[in-house]
Amino acid sequence: MLAVSRGSAFRWDVATIFKRGRLSDWKSESVSSFGEYLEVLGVIAAVTVVSWFLPVSYHAMGHVYLLVVILLCLRVGRWPVLFAAIVSALVWNYVFMPPRMSFSVLHFDDGMLLGIYFIVAIIAGQLTARIRAQERYERLRERRATALFHLTMALAGARTLDEAVEAALRQADELFGAQSAVLLAREKGGLTLHAAGSFRPGEQERAVAEWVAHNHREAGRFTGVLASAEGLHLPMLRAGQMLGVFALRLPAEVAALSPVQRDLMEGFAVQLALLLEREQLRAAGEREKFFAESDRLHRTLLDSVSHELKTPLAVLRSAGDKLDTEDARKRTALTGEIRTATNRLDHLVANLLNQTRLESGGVRPQLDWCDVRDFINAARRAVGDAMTGRVLKTEIPDDLPLCMADAPLMEQVIANLLLNAVLHTPAGSPIQVSAGVDHAAGAGRIFIRISDRGAGIPAELRENLFQKFNRGRTARAGGLGLGLSIVRGFMLAQGGEVTAGDNPGGGASFTVYLRHLAHGNVPNDDR
Amino acid sequence: MTADPLRIEILVIDDEVQIRRLLRLTLEDAGYVVREAETGLAGLSEFERAAPDAVILDLGLPDLPGVKVLARLREKSPVPVLILSVFGQEGSKIAALDAGADDYLTKPFGDGELLARLRALLRRIKPAVASNTFRFGTVVVDLERRRVMKQGQAVKLTSMEYALLQLFIMHRDKALTHRQVLRELWGPKAEAQTHYLRTYMMRLRRKLEDEVDDPQYFQTESGIGYRFVSEPGN
Repeated sequence: MLAVSRGSAFRWDVATIFKRGRLSDWKSESVSSFGEYLEVLGVIAAVTVVSWFLPVSYHAMGHVYLLVVILLCLRVGRWPVLFAAIVSALVWNYVFMPPRMSFSVLHFDDGMLLGIYFIVAIIAGQLTARIRAQERYERLRERRATALFHLTMALAGARTLDEAVEAALRQADELFGAQSAVLLAREKGGLTLHAAGSFRPGEQERAVAEWVAHNHREAGRFTGVLASAEGLHLPMLRAGQMLGVFALRLPAEVAALSPVQRDLMEGFAVQLALLLEREQLRAAGEREKFFAESDRLHRTLLDSVSHELKTPLAVLRSAGDKLDTEDARKRTALTGEIRTATNRLDHLVANLLNQTRLESGGVRPQLDWCDVRDFINAARRAVGDAMTGRVLKTEIPDDLPLCMADAPLMEQVIANLLLNAVLHTPAGSPIQVSAGVDHAAGAGRIFIRISDRGAGIPAELRENLFQKFNRGRTARAGGLGLGLSIVRGFMLAQGGEVTAGDNPGGGASFTVYLRHLAHGNVPNDDR
Repeated sequence: MTADPLRIEILVIDDEVQIRRLLRLTLEDAGYVVREAETGLAGLSEFERAAPDAVILDLGLPDLPGVKVLARLREKSPVPVLILSVFGQEGSKIAALDAGADDYLTKPFGDGELLARLRALLRRIKPAVASNTFRFGTVVVDLERRRVMKQGQAVKLTSMEYALLQLFIMHRDKALTHRQVLRELWGPKAEAQTHYLRTYMMRLRRKLEDEVDDPQYFQTESGIGYRFVSEPGN
């Protein structure tokens, strides 16, 4: 929001500052306009008409005209003042000097007065011109400073590189009355045209830009190199590094650039270069952070995967070795160990695959009408041995409607939540699964809740509960900390969600939600 | 370990040598004769040569997609085919079942499961014992008079519920995809109307299962369809 308001404020500023003479008005301001001559004539005519009726001597009139010339110095340029001196001298002679209404021969006194006219007019004109030039220069400097200030403000406010380049280019368009473009240097050499540019350089212009990028020097129109090009191409450099090329295509009628304009354009290029450098540094920093994070994850993954894989493998190998030699009773125990180890491996591989599928975007839910009871049964069967010695209570209303879900995903969601409950609660404590329709929000949601009577969710785990590799300290051996992350991923993929909370009366409770939709009619038969 | 006098031959098509070895061990122990093939093409030519009684086909073969091997087998014969697949291949499992596979198993699987599936498949190639009644649990279905009894009490089924039950009995112990059931009962246009099936399954379970929330006979195969288990725990 901030960036937007800054941007519009700038546009308004540009409009007011340059209304009287934008930098894009390329005509020189030093040529006095025709209007100033008219103004001179008008003032002299008015003074003459008024004085005609006043009983003053022609000498006094001479002073009046001198005063008029001096006053005009304040309003008009050098040449109109001189013109004012000549006109007022002629009018004074013709109208007021006796004989009136005819040119008369000058006396020495009158001649001297006329001489002073001209000297005063020339000096005053010079002074005025100098002051005006100074004023104009100040104004240009101020405009340049304002333009650059607003440019930096807009750039600082932009959230992305694209936004910033776009803002900069629109300001360049307006300020210079030109078409502008930015070509960004690619890492492996060459230039990419930024899409926001209003100037679409052709092949020839691209070649000029490439030359600029290669030689780190400006080129194109108004420069000594490749001056026949349509555009002026300025390099964007930071610490000797080529970041890109800023190209401007000025209207064909512009014959030359003033140093001020040139300066401002270079200022723009520098600001853009700063922006690009900042962006590069930011991207580099982010990349570094990303690598550090993925490195950490990799280490965690490797550590726990190798632990999780090696434990059942050790069991398998040792049990396999013993099978040959042990008696029948021990063999039964060993095969039990083997079965447990393989189940554990199976679950581990499934979770790793699921997490990988989630992260690579490989989970594409096939939503179809499902019966919640089916998920719960399938999950219970999948969890199998782990539930031994547990009381699992289910509470599902008879009239529970069908839900739209992906059955295999839901089966794993419920299985993971059941296993999670088993892992984090004391052996033998009960687990309850309930389902129903939650009418709280709009059309309602179908929920499935798995509640236990364990110690509940530790406060320090709550925030990152559904993050991968986040394992509870109280968890018994086993598990990578992927279960809940997969639950969340699968639920989100199906347009549902999962929440965790306290089970009233002690323990934790996890609830998954699915949208409640109404299915079409089911054809009835002779019931 | 009684050798079956009929010498039933099973063709195993799987590229993993260890799986083939273990399958051979299990199947020979159970009295079957085992033939092996490492690739889809080798499997097809072995099928031509040996004409086995059943085929165990892995879906992930190196040379041909399992579904294609299945289609070529089906061009030649209605031999029972048991598909082996790995976790996460629901799509290809359904495709294989719709293309005529009789059942599937997901790796890793137990010996007991494998042998039970195989027995169920082989049972069907033998002509069904001419019997007018079919029993499961405490339920007796009189196929001729279209009557159903549970614990000695008559159960009233609608004609659609009965048709569903009949379909399951006909394909007992075999996975049926949603599409197969819907097409059979409601016609090809209803293939996508899974909610019909879910609703009728719920009704059928309510009438015939002992525990509606934990069905023993009418089991759901997640994402695939249903399986009618005529002798649970076997």
